Amino acid sequence: MSIFEYNGSALVAMVGKNCFAIASDRRLGVQLQTIATDFQKIYRIHHKLFIGLAGLATDAQTLYQRLVFRHKLYHLREERDMKPETFASLVSAVLYEKRFGPYFCQPVIAGLGDDDKPFICTMDSIGAKELAKDFVVAGTASESLYGACESMFKPDMEAEELFETISQALISSVDRDCLSGWGGHVYLVTPTEVTERILKGRMD
Amino acid sequence: MTKQQANWSPYDNNGGTCVAIAGADYCVIAADTRMSTGYSILTRDYSKIIQLADKSVMASSGFQADVRALQKVLAARHLIYQHQHNKQMSCPAMAQLLSNTLYFKRFFPYYAFNVLGGLDSEGKGCVFTYDAVGSYERVGYSAQGSGATLITPFLDNQLKSPSPLLLPAKDAVTPLSEIEAIDLVKTCFASATERDIYTGDKVEMLVLNASGIRREFMELRKD
Amino acid sequence: MMKIDFSGLDPYMPVKGNAEDLDDEILAAPSFKLPVTVDFDGFQKAAVQMVKPAKGTTTLAFIFKDGVMVAADSRASMGGYISSQSVKKIIEINPYMLGTMAGGAADCQFWHRNLGIKCRLHELANKRRISVAGASKLLANILYSYRGMGLSVGTMIAGWDENGPGLYYVDSEGGRLKGTRFSVGSGSPYAYGVLDSGYRFDLSVEEAAELARRAIYHATFRDGASGGVASVYHVGPSGWKKLSGDDVGELHYSYYPVEPTAVEQEMADVPIA
Repeated sequence: MSIFEYNGSALVAMVGKNCFAIASDRRLGVQLQTIATDFQKIYRIHHKLFIGLAGLATDAQTLYQRLVFRHKLYHLREERDMKPETFASLVSAVLYEKRFGPYFCQPVIAGLGDDDKPFICTMDSIGAKELAKDFVVAGTASESLYGACESMFKPDMEAEELFETISQALISSVDRDCLSGWGGHVYLVTPTEVTERILKGRMD
Repeated sequence: MTKQQANWSPYDNNGGTCVAIAGADYCVIAADTRMSTGYSILTRDYSKIIQLADKSVMASSGFQADVRALQKVLAARHLIYQHQHNKQMSCPAMAQLLSNTLYFKRFFPYYAFNVLGGLDSEGKGCVFTYDAVGSYERVGYSAQGSGATLITPFLDNQLKSPSPLLLPAKDAVTPLSEIEAIDLVKTCFASATERDIYTGDKVEMLVLNASGIRREFMELRKD
Repeated sequence: MMKIDFSGLDPYMPVKGNAEDLDDEILAAPSFKLPVTVDFDGFQKAAVQMVKPAKGTTTLAFIFKDGVMVAADSRASMGGYISSQSVKKIIEINPYMLGTMAGGAADCQFWHRNLGIKCRLHELANKRRISVAGASKLLANILYSYRGMGLSVGTMIAGWDENGPGLYYVDSEGGRLKGTRFSVGSGSPYAYGVLDSGYRFDLSVEEAAELARRAIYHATFRDGASGGVASVYHVGPSGWKKLSGDDVGELHYSYYPVEPTAVEQEMADVPIA
């Protein structure tokens, strides 16, 4: 079994009309054994910027702490929040520093830019950026998520419809994956507010 | 002399995706028509669907040489059955025959992932889904092959039928009409083609109902 | 082609008509085709890797004062992917006997089907039902003859015969154990935990069914490879009866009817060393 599948995860981010949503499952496992069902995989960098980290949980937490550190330094020097594009480049650079002994993580970054333009992107464990206009996925349920998102996604959805779509896509995907699920966690971000919702799901 | 080792495999993977949906009085069996090996496309017009009997149709992905061998065995067995019983084999009977045929090669499996669709003795749609060594199950819908992992979650979402194991039992028939089921199949394949390199070119759909059997095609992406 | 012992698969009815000159692959007594290779183990490993037979299970059975309780989940997985949520893991061999399924789905299904035939033939030949001990031994002997060839079966044969309730564990390594309490599959450690803590011989049928259901539920909760529907069967003097089949997804919220708690871990508050 790949080290990326050791803890199990499912992550997805979707773009709507002037808004975006990022969602994850809530399981932390050790291979097939479920350890926790309230595990956080999406982290908030600032009020309009989120990063989800799929893959090995220990590396995800370490990487997150390094990213917070770098973002705080940026904040001290620049006295402003990072743009999502800039943050994506930062993540990419931090990952590439460990080119020959990588963090076993696949990040999903989602944020609203200066003009409230949604930005989503993912990258591999050594920082190759992949920008997308519609949706990005990561984790052990990524294949299922690709299929579900590909058939459910519509461009320019309003916030509530976006929430419904991302939730349906997440839940139906993790129900076909042994290593992720046990509930869901969704952040819905519009220019004016951030809504956080916990999804009830199958607990098997 | 150094130890010689045969570096040859009896298997190849030709990819492809098969989907079947059973309704109250119909059954749709579909497969794309692309046949690939590695990154190359061998042909864009290869039918993965075969009609085994009046009311049973099989779609198979995996290794097409094995699939052909399997189809030949089933065709021969069905011919003998007709000579002995003077009737066509029913779909559930064909389902068990397929299971046994696959299991007899348990130690040298057919590299074939099959779905069998058809109508049962009451005229209800039935779908049987298999693994390569013959474990099988009657289901309301199924996807097999290279695009199965992309399509199945979507079908779960759209068709979420109650499990046949539930007690008290709930009706497990797909609530869709024939037209809706065909549209759903088309959507599935269009989506799978976007992300699976082994699926594309064309989707072939066989529709079985009381009035007989009908074949439809829809073009898919060719890249 | 090598041939191996296939006596278990002989057709019981001679084929009618002059069929001898037809293709022997179709009409001869069915036999298992073996690959022509010096490295059978290596080939098996590679083939199994390619076809990924469905695996992953929780099954359990126990004897109590009113018979045998048998329960199982319904998930089949290939690697991390769930290939089915509706597998029938409790196989109805005859009205007085049940088999459970863990390990390779095809191996279990096929050999239980085969065992069903053998039990019926025993009944016809001896004018009485086969004992649970006898049936489990038939299966164990077949599996033993294929030992080392890669079959993967972990099954419990539960039933009621002239000696009362019977329960045997049989596996593809040749094991056959008589017992009063078994659980088999990847979720069995979790199921045993619940089962052992709640088991008494004098449970009522309702209590025993609830214990079995709870044990399966807890196993599906902790084990990633178990899930779907928890089916519970009871075998008594008048044969088996399915008592319940509950979707585990709904069972969880009936056992724990609380809203999922809000996020407890806030990573942002963790002080950076």
